[in-house]
Amino acid sequence: MARTRIRPEGDGVRMELEDFEAELLRSLPAGVRALLEDPDPEDPAVARLFPTCVPDDDTVDTEVRRLIFDDLLSERLEALDALAAILDRGSSHRGRLRVDLVDDEPALVLGVLNDVRLTLGARLGIDRLDRDEIDVDHPAAPTLAVIDHLAWIQEQLLRAIDPTSVDDA
Amino acid sequence: MLPLPAPRASTPATVPVREREADTSDEVIPEGPWDVIVWDDPVNLMSYVVYVFRKVFGYSEPVARKLMLDVHHKGKALVASEPREMAELHVRQLHSHGLQATMQRAH
Repeated sequence: MARTRIRPEGDGVRMELEDFEAELLRSLPAGVRALLEDPDPEDPAVARLFPTCVPDDDTVDTEVRRLIFDDLLSERLEALDALAAILDRGSSHRGRLRVDLVDDEPALVLGVLNDVRLTLGARLGIDRLDRDEIDVDHPAAPTLAVIDHLAWIQEQLLRAIDPTSVDDA
Repeated sequence: MLPLPAPRASTPATVPVREREADTSDEVIPEGPWDVIVWDDPVNLMSYVVYVFRKVFGYSEPVARKLMLDVHHKGKALVASEPREMAELHVRQLHSHGLQATMQRAH
């Protein structure tokens, strides 16, 4: 039986990424970084990553958003930096990039993957898509395939760090 | 939440506010608890939401899963009712994990 490519290893998690996966993890976070460093108010991904806090009170909403915005922003930027450093220290094994995640790194990678998926989804208008009606020729199909593949990686990470969160674990 | 493509309960969203102003409100108003609500969305994985509830609130797996299923099936779930400062902290942590969370005065 083939070993899972993302699995617990010692106190951490070992990921063995295919070339295309490593490339996705290197390239896609740049889109998140760009929106964090220069947020475009028209970008639906900005609204998705920094959502409303208090919908029924604009004054308190503004207060709370001011209170938490800097932390949210710096946490996300630090996570992007950390993922880039993690990929850089990876080593090639049998055509795959092997990266060993320690301490809070699995959680951090999980979070970046989520931010990437949220960003792609928001820009795609995923709220308004009926996935049952999307076939391979649909213009949204390639982006949805990326979102789903990153979801698969997230699931594998969750199995490794918090198996009880996965229903069939 | 994935995998089921359910219509999402929409919450109003605006751009983040970056500038800071002097806090002019110095009146102290005794406040009751605030409810923290998590809303469904089509991207976050069901397992990931369970993980976040466990991590942020320390809920057991059955509690976290029940709340996740409430979000999934009902469009939202009340995940905590607590003093305003705690609600702000939890909203920040939930937003940090990419969940759509809001807070409101408990009725």
